[in-house]
Amino acid sequence: MVTQHDVVIVGAGLAGMRAAIEAARGGVDVAVVSKLHPVRSHSGSAEGGINVALGNVADDDPDIHTFDTIKGSDYLADQDAAEIMCHEAIEDIIELEHMGCYFSRLPNGRIAQRPFGAAGSPRTAFAADITGHVLLHVMYEQLLKHEVKVYEEYFAVDLAMDGETCTGVVCWDLVNGGVKAVAARSTVLATGGMGRMFHGTTNAYACTGDGMAMAFRAGAPLKDMEMMQFHPTTLKSNGVLITEGCRGEGGYLRNSEGERFMAKYAPNALELASRDVVSRSEWTEIHEGRGVDGCVLLDLTHLGADHINRALPGSRELALDHAGVDAIDDPIPVRPGAHYQMGGVATDVWGRTPIEGLYAAGEVACVSVHGANRLGGNSLLETVVYGRRTGAKAAEEAAERRPVEATRTAAGIDMVRQRVNRLLATESGPRSDELREALATTMYDNLGVFRDEAGMTQAVKDIAELRARYDEGVVVQDKGDVFNSDLTYAIEVGYLLEMADTLAQCGVFRKESRGAHSRTDFVERDDENWLCHTIVRRTPEDPEFTIETAPVTITKHQPKVRTY
Amino acid sequence: MKAKLKIWRQTPRPDGSVQRELVPFEIDVHEEATLLDTLDAIKHHVDGSLAYRKSCRMAVCGSCGMRMDGRAVLACKVRMAPLVEDGRTPVISPMGNMPVIRDLVTDMSDFWSKIRATTPWLVQDDTRPKPADGREHLISPEEQAKITKESLCIMCGCCVSECNSMEADPAFMGPAALAKAYRFVGDERDDATRERLKAVDTRHGVWDCTRCYFCNERCPKGVDPRDAIAKLGAALFDHGMTRDKGARHAQIFINSAKGKGSFPGTGLLYNGHLAETALVPYTLGPEALLPEWAMMGVRLAMRGKAPPPWHSALHRQEGLDEVQELWRILEREDGPSRRGGEFDTPAGEMPPNIARSLRGMFTARELNERTGTKLVDEPTEESAS
Repeated sequence: MVTQHDVVIVGAGLAGMRAAIEAARGGVDVAVVSKLHPVRSHSGSAEGGINVALGNVADDDPDIHTFDTIKGSDYLADQDAAEIMCHEAIEDIIELEHMGCYFSRLPNGRIAQRPFGAAGSPRTAFAADITGHVLLHVMYEQLLKHEVKVYEEYFAVDLAMDGETCTGVVCWDLVNGGVKAVAARSTVLATGGMGRMFHGTTNAYACTGDGMAMAFRAGAPLKDMEMMQFHPTTLKSNGVLITEGCRGEGGYLRNSEGERFMAKYAPNALELASRDVVSRSEWTEIHEGRGVDGCVLLDLTHLGADHINRALPGSRELALDHAGVDAIDDPIPVRPGAHYQMGGVATDVWGRTPIEGLYAAGEVACVSVHGANRLGGNSLLETVVYGRRTGAKAAEEAAERRPVEATRTAAGIDMVRQRVNRLLATESGPRSDELREALATTMYDNLGVFRDEAGMTQAVKDIAELRARYDEGVVVQDKGDVFNSDLTYAIEVGYLLEMADTLAQCGVFRKESRGAHSRTDFVERDDENWLCHTIVRRTPEDPEFTIETAPVTITKHQPKVRTY
Repeated sequence: MKAKLKIWRQTPRPDGSVQRELVPFEIDVHEEATLLDTLDAIKHHVDGSLAYRKSCRMAVCGSCGMRMDGRAVLACKVRMAPLVEDGRTPVISPMGNMPVIRDLVTDMSDFWSKIRATTPWLVQDDTRPKPADGREHLISPEEQAKITKESLCIMCGCCVSECNSMEADPAFMGPAALAKAYRFVGDERDDATRERLKAVDTRHGVWDCTRCYFCNERCPKGVDPRDAIAKLGAALFDHGMTRDKGARHAQIFINSAKGKGSFPGTGLLYNGHLAETALVPYTLGPEALLPEWAMMGVRLAMRGKAPPPWHSALHRQEGLDEVQELWRILEREDGPSRRGGEFDTPAGEMPPNIARSLRGMFTARELNERTGTKLVDEPTEESAS
């Protein structure tokens, strides 16, 4: 079955819904497909806030926000893209407020702002510690208001390609079963990240790199895939995120000796240094024997019950549910966990990929505004600013393209049908989760906070073996059509394996330490040779990767030594 | 640890009927495992065909609503350790008040339609002046706090699953949609209050709630939807929208308690006693003249279940002064303290989401010992076996 629209958005998190709303405003026929209901998207898990230089608490300026973002990126961000984001932030956040978004407020009625890591001013607007949740729901409200068609629980399996042009997306209908295609003149990927390839990730089960993998297989270049951010404060049992807002509100990090160890690593910013710096410091403490059961301690006890209940009730709840610790009485054991993919599908500042008809926005994309290390509070901002810009451009260019005839997706439908049938027919081999577990182990061991040649090469080898086993066939025990999540998990693991391969190979390729990519065999940043993006690509026909470099766009800020 | 579950597997047959089977499972899980982790372990290691929804596993996406021992929970928010320690084998089934698609997956389309029907977005008049500086609306923390609890809603469906009114009347708007409706009624920036109130002042709206409080009890996020319904009722009164039987029923209780006024046309004073004779006619209006109602009144009176009309004129309820003083306090404090939000939790009080988490941390015995109360039922031998 094929349905036709002008623009189709794949993914219904913040970036996807923001793009859909802007496209709908552009007067074209928009549809959203998502493997989850929109409000189930992982944007809702963002806790701490959204950066914007409103200056409500202290003097601030979009130029300072831009500089903080670029310095935070270890000078790998494209500076034109960062400028756009930080300057357009003000209008976009005010618009969110006018849409009815809930924000925590100052006594004078303005939007409250709290300090966040590596920011020169208290710049992070927030709603207690559920900022992503309130943004996601206000965006869903607007999606309903604009009467955008949503194909819920449609699992995107592949892009429909007509030669070199993207003509929509081919999906598996999770609830009813069956292959369904949505043909469109413009296709926007907004599928989020790929953290599920790591043990102890903050990411939801749904974050499996779907959009990146689909674009990659269609021949789109991926940029800076080695840049996986590790969040400094995640729970040991399952990687659940404890917001940076805990440190923004005055929380301390302590080692087993009770020492606030960040004084050694970032004497000025202390706990509010950038995430890569804090994660490395924690890792060092733990590996030099000053950890507590593989963790360091996030201490909020001095803040008192009332402060915690008012500003951080969600964090207290999560620590109770997933670590059995009440943050009012005891410090929370935390460790770094895979959190955010700064790399992704390479786009220009309008979300366009090099493939005609294909766009990307949000975590799936790499504009790049985060470079080698994203600032806390900048990811929600990116979804809103670049979601809007991408939606506008996708709608504008859709109007210029000829309608896609339904028959143009036939090849894609056939291919997906074959893949599904093959998965359902496989009788012997591993289950998909066995492969995912093995992948997560090698990724955590070899591509974590610190990396080296030997470890990364081992990971490349492990991944190759896992991919070979996957290609031989994984067993899907559920053979039915109705809500067959065993089938979709199996497809997701295929995405994860291929994206992990790009991450590991790009990691080996970049022979320096920059931001989140921290090598013990190349400890220094090397601007002479490596002030550049890595670009990995393949062709639809040939699964072998090629990796090359591309220049970083520098406007005002020449690279400097980065200290906090 | 070894966790035990019994799961209601449900598979639709081609003829439209459903095959139901209660299947026991026993599986090794880690010490911090949740119910969701346990289901994952079963799916990955025992039976890949088990169907359930999941995503964030941190109680914010709302995917994994289901029933444990007949009560709605988020699977990712239930810690298994206390259950294992108590020797329990919980029975897992899909949420109630929704058709089942398969196993623990329900069809929530009616849920979403009801949310959609509340016009769930901010509506502003063209005539409303925009903030002069082009910036945000100025909203005090107290004002914003009026919609804090409703803003916590993750739309998991746990409240609807447990709703007794909806069980009796599937068309009832239900706690989630009504909480969403209040989220805008309570928002100073919204200009559609009257239209919104009209939309909930209907046959299947606010007054159809039976006030069983199951929604408050089972909401995993502390939204307290029943409180939102009460706030909608109060807003209807504030706007003089009291024509519904439900509103009239409430009104006569208020008048009785105030000890003021008289029932129209009878001259009978409400003398601080529930004017039961007036209650029915006042609630029903002209409909009360229908023979079946009149006959019922006569039958009630004959069996001593309805007092004679002069009763309320002669008797005064005990403790009335106290009730009237409470009413005066409420009228004075028509603000955040009456419609308060969670982030405004007064010093020393515990937000409801935390209370729920604490319950999950300890065994029933430990929790009752720690709090010195009987906060939860300790397992009996039957439920432990």
